[in-house]
Amino acid sequence: MRVSLNWLKEYVDIDISAEELAHQLTMLGLEIEAIERPGAEISDVYVGKILSIDPHPDADKLVVCKTDIGKAEPLQIVCGAKNMKPGDYVPTAVVGAKLPGGFEIGRRKMRGIESQGMMCSARELGMGEDHTGLLILEGEPPLGADAKTLLGLDDVIFEVSITPNRGDWACMIGVAREVAALFGKTVRIPAITMTESTTPASSLSSVTIVDPDLCPRYIGRVLKNVTIKPSPEWMCRCLIAAGQRPINNIVDITNYVLLETGHPLHAFDYDKLGENRIVVRRAKPGEIMTTLDGEKRTLAEDMLVIADAKEPQAVAGIMGGGDSEVDENTKNVFLESAYFTPASIRRTSRQLGLATEASQRFQRGADPEMAVYAINRAADLMQKLGGAEIAQGLLDEYPNRIPVREVRLRYARCNLLIGTDIPEETQRDALLRLGFERVKSDDESATFKAPTWRPDVSMEVDLIEEVARLYGYDNLRVSLPQVRQSEMVFAPYEAKVRQLRRQLVDQGLTEIYQWTFSCPEDVQRTGLDASYMNMVTLQNPLSEKQATLRSSMIPGLMNNASYNVNHGVADMAVFEIGPVYRPVDGADQPEQRLCLGMLLMGRTEEKHWSSPQRSVDFYDLKGRVEAVLDFFGQDAVFNGVKFGPFQHGQSAVIVTGNQTIGYLGKIAPPVLKAFDIAQTVYVAELYLDPLLSGGQQANQFQEIPAFPPSLRDLAVVVNASVPVADLMKAVYDNGGKNLKQVNLFDIYTGEPVPKGKKSVALSLMFQSGERTLTDEETQKAMDKIVRKLQTAFEAELR
Amino acid sequence: MKEQIEALRSTALEEVAKTSDLRALEDARVKYLGRKGKITEILRGLSQVSPEERPVLGQAANKVRDAISDAIDARKEVLDAEAEQQKAASEAVDLTLPGRRPRKGHMHVINQVTDDILEIFFELGFQVAAGPDVETEYYNFESLNIPADHPARDSHDTFFVKPGVVLRTHTSPVQMRVMEKTQPPVAVVVPGRVYRVDYDASHSPMFNQVEGLLVDEGVTFADLKGTLMMFVHRFFGKDTQVRFRPSFFPFTEPSAEVDISCTVCQGKGCRVCKNSGWLEILGCGMVNPKVYEYAGYDTEKYTGYAFGLGVDRIAMLRHAISSIGHLYENDMRFVEQF
Repeated sequence: MRVSLNWLKEYVDIDISAEELAHQLTMLGLEIEAIERPGAEISDVYVGKILSIDPHPDADKLVVCKTDIGKAEPLQIVCGAKNMKPGDYVPTAVVGAKLPGGFEIGRRKMRGIESQGMMCSARELGMGEDHTGLLILEGEPPLGADAKTLLGLDDVIFEVSITPNRGDWACMIGVAREVAALFGKTVRIPAITMTESTTPASSLSSVTIVDPDLCPRYIGRVLKNVTIKPSPEWMCRCLIAAGQRPINNIVDITNYVLLETGHPLHAFDYDKLGENRIVVRRAKPGEIMTTLDGEKRTLAEDMLVIADAKEPQAVAGIMGGGDSEVDENTKNVFLESAYFTPASIRRTSRQLGLATEASQRFQRGADPEMAVYAINRAADLMQKLGGAEIAQGLLDEYPNRIPVREVRLRYARCNLLIGTDIPEETQRDALLRLGFERVKSDDESATFKAPTWRPDVSMEVDLIEEVARLYGYDNLRVSLPQVRQSEMVFAPYEAKVRQLRRQLVDQGLTEIYQWTFSCPEDVQRTGLDASYMNMVTLQNPLSEKQATLRSSMIPGLMNNASYNVNHGVADMAVFEIGPVYRPVDGADQPEQRLCLGMLLMGRTEEKHWSSPQRSVDFYDLKGRVEAVLDFFGQDAVFNGVKFGPFQHGQSAVIVTGNQTIGYLGKIAPPVLKAFDIAQTVYVAELYLDPLLSGGQQANQFQEIPAFPPSLRDLAVVVNASVPVADLMKAVYDNGGKNLKQVNLFDIYTGEPVPKGKKSVALSLMFQSGERTLTDEETQKAMDKIVRKLQTAFEAELR
Repeated sequence: MKEQIEALRSTALEEVAKTSDLRALEDARVKYLGRKGKITEILRGLSQVSPEERPVLGQAANKVRDAISDAIDARKEVLDAEAEQQKAASEAVDLTLPGRRPRKGHMHVINQVTDDILEIFFELGFQVAAGPDVETEYYNFESLNIPADHPARDSHDTFFVKPGVVLRTHTSPVQMRVMEKTQPPVAVVVPGRVYRVDYDASHSPMFNQVEGLLVDEGVTFADLKGTLMMFVHRFFGKDTQVRFRPSFFPFTEPSAEVDISCTVCQGKGCRVCKNSGWLEILGCGMVNPKVYEYAGYDTEKYTGYAFGLGVDRIAMLRHAISSIGHLYENDMRFVEQF
């Protein structure tokens, strides 16, 4: 909300600088987000009076004026405007004057005639959009006076951010109340001096509330024979300062009073209301009306409307309808001031996608008493500015009285909660200054009646907050709590996950952090099967590409690789730890699984002067997966599997016990193509939950062997298709109890190994905990191994 | 013979001194002290001299032998040192060539900042709690005193999965999930992803928060101030100014927003702080008794505070990151800067 400081000063005395006031209000919770000085750029614009207007000898569209600005000689000014006449007072910029936008007035000739300044339009002074002619000043302001002050261009505008609980702040009086409370001043509420006619309003109209649950109070007034005309300059200035556009006196007055009191009003053209009366009711199913913004709106049954005898004429508390709009031909006005149920306004406003100044105030909770003042204030102004005859009396229907809340404050509780000793008297005084009324008190507490404009106050803590606020948060004590911890551990695996993240980074992987959104198309492009298409779907996604939550990390990793390849990055070794989601039948919430995704592509190491380059391959990725398994102290087997995203033959499922914990492999060429990547990519996805909950035992100490090991190498030639893991298992199984280690140190194909065969070289370590092994013992074990390899794998010794 | 011994001493010492490498020195040793060496020869020849002369000559010969031996040892040290120097010279490397560094990974800046935040609260005795990204409206709103059609929901533009089920708009639902599990004391911090339907230069539809909750007997607003001031001083430096400003959150009362002096201009006023000199970094307050009612806590016995930090904003401030978009784009040229 924009608050004009000049306007605010009409309601409360302010004797500190704008900056200081902004700071104090901010520290009170009324946050001033910005301070604006609309006229800051303007200088040397004075009140001038046009003495004469003569035609320009050489230009049809220009005139030559003599304008008196209170100096010895009038100024000669060439002007293109048409709306002025001799005797008009106008803002006059002299030579050297500065106008908004850095525009400086110079002495110059226009079609041969010297012009010694410029008379300004409203737009040229930054006062709205009117550029149809000069800004003609009202009355007879003193010649030569600073027009900037006169026009309020010396004003300061606060951009105020209002919290959802304080609807009462959204008006001049509301801000003034806060200033008054802070500095111990009084708020000046403008007096109402209207005179009512002898015609009772009840003889001209009536108000029927059909649905008091949505409209506890509705007040109407009838105003006859109004003159529709532009609003006076002072009112326009206030509206413009608040960011609104003046329209005509009646509409402007409702807006003005809204900004002043915070209470939304609506003016209907009385003669356009069917039977000239008001019915407040829920909309009928499918009822249609056109709102003031020209939109045709279909209403729902739970929406409240202000109708005449037949048709809805306004969406209650949100926007009026075009059919009963006040226009230049309006003679008689029905003025509305009501209290609508906040939740209903908010619901309707959201359903219609229509938020207005009125709806924002009603949904925060209006002041049911201010409704009376606001309608009277508006009627008063309509009489003064539009000559309205005010029919006698309010049409005030108040079937559901809004309760006044009484809340008890225990002084000790206040101090206990905020941890600062604030004297009882100071506590009471704070509340009284804020408009609370003390209804009773005892030694340890007092009960206060909350002001009608404070629907947010219902509990003791609300009062405590008021006390603390006025006392000043900065003045409250500072201490450190003695933190006692719960015996329960809430996220037992969280530390392990953070540890894993650090370890992966230490091992040279870079972490990425992606949105968890996905879409079915990406799942398809990745080649994942139909089970991955079963995704958590958003009802209101930002876009088609973000329509679901991810069911796998692989599409996201591929998108990221694609993005980086497109930006010239060829080497990537990245990981992400995060959730994937899968809907669960019959449950509100999906299953959320923690995953580790890894992606490798390009070179294994950064370029270095001393080492050759190598591209990553399957085993780089497998090694990283194995390192993760080691981290969790888990063993797993890698079984060949058909998995959509991966190329067959370089695609494995990772299994621990009988549980699948993930997949790794080389991305298949069609998938690479779908992501527009022209290089080899390896991806793994691991489910971390089973690994985290797998339970890790502390390593148990093994006695360090006292006797030397006996080492043997073994090289065999087998069919190339023999899995080395099977071979090594056979070695282990047949090596006897002294065989402690088998290491694979070479795989060789090519001459002299025959085609279709490979040479596998192993080093074996035998060791006993009881004695030094003899050569014969070791050899015997070796012989048994060799025999087994010969029979089981047709192995030949090399 | 005596002369002969003395002559041998001077010849030998001279020869030893002249040796230029270890091999020549060894030759000299063999020549004089070896089994067939000159001193050995003389000592053997002593059997030929008279018994009166024998001890005198023997002593003289032994002295010469020791002198030569000492000279050889001394010379060896010199030659060893020279040899080492030569070897070192031949092995000298170009010290300016870059070393072989272990490949360096980078933790994502969001997690670096989250970890740094958590560490500070761990020291105070907080533990981590977590909750699901897909939440029910009950946990995300209702139990936090944000009923349906409450205007506070306006600032939470919510992704819906189905009626009553949302992507959590803040980490606060974990407060209730924790409080449901146990009576006080409770002291948790909750890092996590949160979601809002908001996407522009300064908003990401997914972002990160760290929530804090402390409930026990006698926890005060002063404790809240103290905790968060300590946090700010540890995280942003001890010269950082902190101010607490009244604000509104439905689940805390009294509520506050915390500003720190602008990290860019140190409070003088700049574009980043919109000339205010202050940057808002978190919201906090004393837990609203209505929340305790949902949790089944005794509202008289227990008090507590809660706070919520925007990790993204803090990361952007600490590292002068210009746009929130960079955080989740995962351009390697961005990620590897941190």
